[in-house]
Parts: sequence; structure tokens; C-alpha cells
Amino acid sequence: MTAAAVIAHPEGLAARRALRAARIRGVVFAALGLISFYFAASALETAALFSFWIDKQGGQSAQLQTSVGALWIVAGVASGVVGILQLVRGAAFPWRRWLFIVFPPYIAVTIAALLNGTAANLTGVISGSLVLAAPITLGALAGILSERSGMLNIALEGKMLAGACVASIVASVVLNTFNVSPSDPGYGTAALVGAMAGIAAAMLTGALMGLLLAWLGIRHKVDQIIAGTVINIGAVGITNFLFLRVLGRNTELNTPPTIEPLRLPLLADIPVLGPIFFSTKPYVYVAIIFVIILTYLLFRTRWGLRLRASGEKPAAAGTVGINVLAIRYRALLLAGLLAGLAGSYLSLSAAGSFQMGMSAGKGFIALAAMIFGAWHPIGALGAALVFGFADQAQSLLSILGVQVPPQLLNSVPYIVTIIVVAGVVGRVRGPASAGMPYEQG
Amino acid sequence: MNRLQSLARRSLLPILAVVTALLLGAVVIVITDFENLSKLGSDPIAALGGALAGVGRGYGAMLSGAFGDPGRIVTALQSGNEKDIATAIRPLTETLVASTPLIFTGLAVAISFRAGMFNIGGDGQLIVGALGATTTAIALQGVAPAAVILVAAIVVGTIFGGAWGFVPGFLKARTGAHEVITTIMLNYIAAQVVLFALRGDFLRQPGGGQPISKVMTTFVDVPGILPLPGIRLDFGFVVALVMAVVASFFLFRTTKGFELRSAGFNLTAARYAGMSAGGSIMLAMFLSGALAGMGGSFMVIGTVGQLSNDLSGGIGFNAIALALLAGLRPTGVVLAALLFGALTTGGKLMGIQSGIPFDLLFFIQALVIMFVAAPGLVRTIYRIKPPKPEAEVAA
Repeated sequence: MTAAAVIAHPEGLAARRALRAARIRGVVFAALGLISFYFAASALETAALFSFWIDKQGGQSAQLQTSVGALWIVAGVASGVVGILQLVRGAAFPWRRWLFIVFPPYIAVTIAALLNGTAANLTGVISGSLVLAAPITLGALAGILSERSGMLNIALEGKMLAGACVASIVASVVLNTFNVSPSDPGYGTAALVGAMAGIAAAMLTGALMGLLLAWLGIRHKVDQIIAGTVINIGAVGITNFLFLRVLGRNTELNTPPTIEPLRLPLLADIPVLGPIFFSTKPYVYVAIIFVIILTYLLFRTRWGLRLRASGEKPAAAGTVGINVLAIRYRALLLAGLLAGLAGSYLSLSAAGSFQMGMSAGKGFIALAAMIFGAWHPIGALGAALVFGFADQAQSLLSILGVQVPPQLLNSVPYIVTIIVVAGVVGRVRGPASAGMPYEQG
Repeated sequence: MNRLQSLARRSLLPILAVVTALLLGAVVIVITDFENLSKLGSDPIAALGGALAGVGRGYGAMLSGAFGDPGRIVTALQSGNEKDIATAIRPLTETLVASTPLIFTGLAVAISFRAGMFNIGGDGQLIVGALGATTTAIALQGVAPAAVILVAAIVVGTIFGGAWGFVPGFLKARTGAHEVITTIMLNYIAAQVVLFALRGDFLRQPGGGQPISKVMTTFVDVPGILPLPGIRLDFGFVVALVMAVVASFFLFRTTKGFELRSAGFNLTAARYAGMSAGGSIMLAMFLSGALAGMGGSFMVIGTVGQLSNDLSGGIGFNAIALALLAGLRPTGVVLAALLFGALTTGGKLMGIQSGIPFDLLFFIQALVIMFVAAPGLVRTIYRIKPPKPEAEVAA
């Protein structure tokens, strides 16, 4: 094939590249599987002890006992099977989904190998990952909505930060109007009303910022990355300003009710699983519900099809009569609601008050989760779990008694993000027209 | 006449952008002035007057913090007393001191944006550069003469910054990883790296748990421009100006600069013309990081004297605003950096004297970027007719 032919058929070139990448991936998975068996041979005698709280944190615990070698075998089989499937089915193989099968055994075996025969309780680590994955998932969903409609959403970070600030202020003010102290019988209701008001205000803030982003990008054709940067820097400036000028002197404006874990009736009583999945913070339930709703809306409804068409080929969508710009405005409005909700988690649930710069890159991590999840809600949830787990590395390693400098641990989520967006584990194609202005006739 | 007109036309929008942003900043100051606004019901005129006076005090403090008191400068100069002159012109020289790293990082942003790379990692590149300079200086302390330490520290710092900038460039060129995400992540990582480096006794100031380095002014310093007591302005500022000339020459008078701008203007076209677009991206990001790193080196060796993880204080973000304000032209970057330097120095005095937090400036900067990026907004506010498109003029 000559160079000219390659340029004339870029699709053919891309297909060959994809096939080569698929082969490399298959060989890597298969090799990983074989190496795992090698490790298994020397570790069959080492016990792997995991324990989990049965009903609640600090109560009775159940212990799972196997050997490190057995775990290596499980991991090796999983990786080997996926590698063979990948090699047989070529580029069309949806390997990303199969990572859900490959990752967990390797994580388990790594922990077990580090434990080296001693027992550790994992309920806290797993439920902690889940809780941290919630805001990242919500942010990633916001990113998916906007990018699928054709708008880049770098501004997630700023929306989350502003959402956190507004949520704390509004929730504090509403709680204060009830004039109850934590010991009063009516405090629970007042706290609930305050928290709900705070969340609503945060979502509204996010939505308004989303509309501003859309207006700058669509009406004024500002480069969407620059528009997003405007919002990010502006959010840092205004929230720091408010914190220093207003909240510092009036601390009663920054003492919101906190959102505590919610026990789901019946489900929370399931042994082992209950404490992990069903008595966790409400944000986890909300995030999972939104993942399901958005998956349905995006891929099973007319609205979703139109939204995706606007992001892939707006000209074609416009030709068949779809109002592309209206779809983009609405998508950014909805995305802003979700980003604001994610922001409210930071102040109302994670920290208990607003702090300067508390988003600390979570908006960008959410974008990375969106990319790693291939712009699909379920994929984003999976990716968010990886980030949640990376963030739990600190507490995990302290359980394991491994000495690692805290600066290195603090960097882990950021390093993982870079690895993910660099596509070291495989590149995906995003919506074709995301970031391009569209001229509607 | 025509050139003058076009210059006036070109600078009208940036000026209006800054003025409008400052006005909106004033609105924010007024609506957060709860002490005065709480009297709105009983005495609205006094309440609004008090709030507006607060704005006046704040912006007044900003002005005198940035430029000093002209009358005082004149009397000091007449008296010829060194100490008086130094105190009088200190605000002005501090403005230039604050502009110096802004010129470096502004040029860094301009070069990367010209290549189509939205480098928002200026903060990280600056602080990693400063780390390189600090490590070199402390390692050479007592081993080499001060002049050698100075040059070595600046060179190593520049290379460190360049390397930190090269990483996102490399990732973009090779894997397509979006530079906005990677540079932001590298900012966070850079802060952690500096904290980690400041843990050891080698760099850390003895006798304190604070993550801050030893003071280096005792054995190495960038020579000052004015031989007056308490004036920090040094030759770093001159080097920054030289770098602006160099950057301008590189971008508009060399082949590499042309290739770099082509990559930013139309990546596909540049590829088809046989240019190495990936090479241009990597080169641009290296140069961008190197400039930011050089700025950090001059800051830490010359004006600040010791390294801490909050050395930058958001300079990387200021740089984006000022580079866009300057239309990504090196000469414009110098002017915009002087303006932002004045805002920074003045903003600090505003924070001290009137209790209006310095961070308001970030909000004002965001507005500046917005107005510059969306000229239609400013035109609508001031009812300016848009310039005629070229095609119409020709027809």
C-alpha cells in the first residue's frame, strides 16, 4: 500500500491500527494471565484473610479465608480468558466491559499479598470508595450530557466549587431560620429541610453556570475551553472572596446540616453487603439512579438519539429538523444541575462546611472518568469507582501498615487521571463534534 | 493616521473589558457589604453611600498600592534622600516586581496557545522550575562563586519547567490526551512534589515544621537595578523584557515559529504541508514550560528568596487572562503583565487597608477573559458597531 493510498483511505488505516492495538491488548492480557499462574505456584500456602462488618461498622465481622495462590489463579484465569477472547474477536471486542471482571481479582490479590497472612477489614475501604465515587459519577454524567450534545464542559470544576459554596450558605441560612439546637426534637426535620434547600440552590447555581457556558459558547462563539476556564477561574475568585469577606466573619452562614448515611430498610440488614451498599450516603443511591436513568434516556429514547446526533453530526441533525442549539442549551442546563448536586456533596456531606478550593480537581477527575468510561454512564460509574478506590489508597495502606509518604498518596488520583486520559489502557473516540461551534440556519 | 486608528481600535476592546470587569467587581463589593446594606431599610442613602465609599476605599488603596503617591515621589526626588526616594517609589517598583513572573508566564501561555495548546499548567511549571533553581542553589552553596550559582540555578530551573511542560505536550502529541486535564493534574502533582522535596533537611529551613526552604539571599541573589534600600526590583525584569523580544522574533521571524503557529491555526493543514505537528506541539509546550520555569527561578532566587509550595499564588491563571487580553502578542503581554502586576500589588494593599479580599482579582480576571473572548458582549454594552468584515470592504 502506497502512502497516497493510505491518505485516500483513512478509515482503512484506522481499522488496521485498531486491529493492531487489539492484538497487543490481547497478548498483554494473556501474558498477565500466565504470569499470574507463575505467582500462584509460590503463594498457595499463604493465607488470604479478608474480613467485613456483618451488620454495622465496629460490630461483628465475617471472615473470608482463602489463599493468595488461589486468588492469583482466579485473577490469572480471568485475565487469560479476556486475553483469548480479545485475540479471537479482534477489534470489535468490547474489552472495556470485561475490565470489571479483570480488575477486582487483581485488586484483591494485591491487597492479600501486601497483608501477607494477616487479616484486614475491608468494609470501610470499599464503602469509602463507593461514597467518593458518587460525586465523581455525578460530575461525569454532567460531562457526558454536555459532550454528547456537542459542548465541551471544562467548567465542571467551577460548577462543583460554586455548588459547594452555595449549598453550604443556603443550607445554613435555612437551618438558622428554624432556630433549633441539635438537641431539640424538631432538629431532624429542620436539618433535612435545610439540606434539601442547600442542594436545590447548588443545583440551580450549577444550572445557571451551565447556561452561561452555553450562552458564551453558542451565542458569542467563545472557544468552549476558554469559556470553561472563565467559569473555573471566576468560581475560584468569587467563592474565595465570599469565604474571606462574608463566611469568615459570619460563621453561622457556614455551618450547614450534614447529610448522614441513610439506612435503606430491609436491604441494610443483609449481612456483609448491607453495611457496604445499603447504609451509605444518599449521594451513592442518587448517583446510581441517575446512571440508570441517563443510560435509558441517552440510548433508548428519541430525546437521547437527538442529543447524540447533535454531538456527532450537528449538520445532519439540523437538516432533519432537529433544533441543535436548543438541545445543547438544555443539555448544559441539565449538566449544570448534576454538577451542582455533585458540588453540594463536598460541603454538605464530605466536609460539613465550605472550604476554599475544596473541589481540588474533582471536576477534572470527573472528566477523566467520563473519558475512561467511553462517554457512557455505566462506564463512567466504573471509572469513578477506580478513582474512588485510588483515593482510598491512603486508608488502605495505613491498614496494611505500609509506610508511604503522604505527598505521594495525595498525588495518586491525579496521576491515575493522567494515565487514564493519556489512554494508556486504550483510547476511545468521543463525540465527533464536541467543542465545535454550530451555525444554525 | 491609519495605523494610529487601527491601534486605537485594537486597544479599545481590551480597555473596555478591563474597565467593565472592575465595575462588576465593584458591584460584588457592594452586595457583599453586609454592614452597610443592613441599614438599607432605615437609611438607604447612607447605606448605599457607605457601600460605595467602601468600593472607593478599596480601589483607591489598589491605585496607591500599585503606583504610590505622585506628590510624595516628586518631593522625595527633590530632597535627594535615598531612604525617602526608596519608600516613595516602592509601590511602583513592586508593581514591576509583580509583573516580572507575569511576563514570563504570559509569554509561556502565548506561545503554547499559538500552537493550539491550552496550557493552564503555568502554576505547576513555575513552581517546579523554582524547585529546580532552589535545589541547584542550595547544592552549590559554598562550592561555587555566587555568579556561577545564579546562572546554574536559573538554567536548571528553566530546564525543570520545560520538562514539566513537555510532559503534557508529549502526551498530547502521542496519545491525544487533552492538555487542559493533564496540565491541571500536573499542577496538583507539582504542589505535592514540592511539599515532598521540602520534607527533607536538605532544602527545608532548619528549626521549623513549616514546608518552606532555607533563605538563599545570603549566598545568591539576582543583582538589583536600583541601588536603593528595600527595593526588590532586579535584573529578572530586564530578562523578562528580553524574553518578550526573543519570543516575538521566534514566533514571527523563524521557520520553527511559523510551523508552531501553523499547528495551532490548522493542525491538519500543517500535517499535509509536511510539517511535524506533533513536534511543534512538543516544542511549544517545552518552551512554554521553560519560560514559566525561568519565571519561577527568578522569583525564588531574586525577589522572594525562599521556596514554598504556594510560591505561585495563581500566577499561572493570571497569565491566561493577560495573554488573551494581549491578543497572544509578546509586546501586548508585557503591557498586560504591567497592568496585572499593578492589580496584584494594589490588590494586596486593598486587602490590608480595606478588608476586601485579594481573591476578588481572580473574579475580575475571569470577567476580563470573558469580555475579551466575547467581544460581542462589550460591543452590546457600549453600543459599539462591529468592525466591517474584510470581504465587504474589498467589495
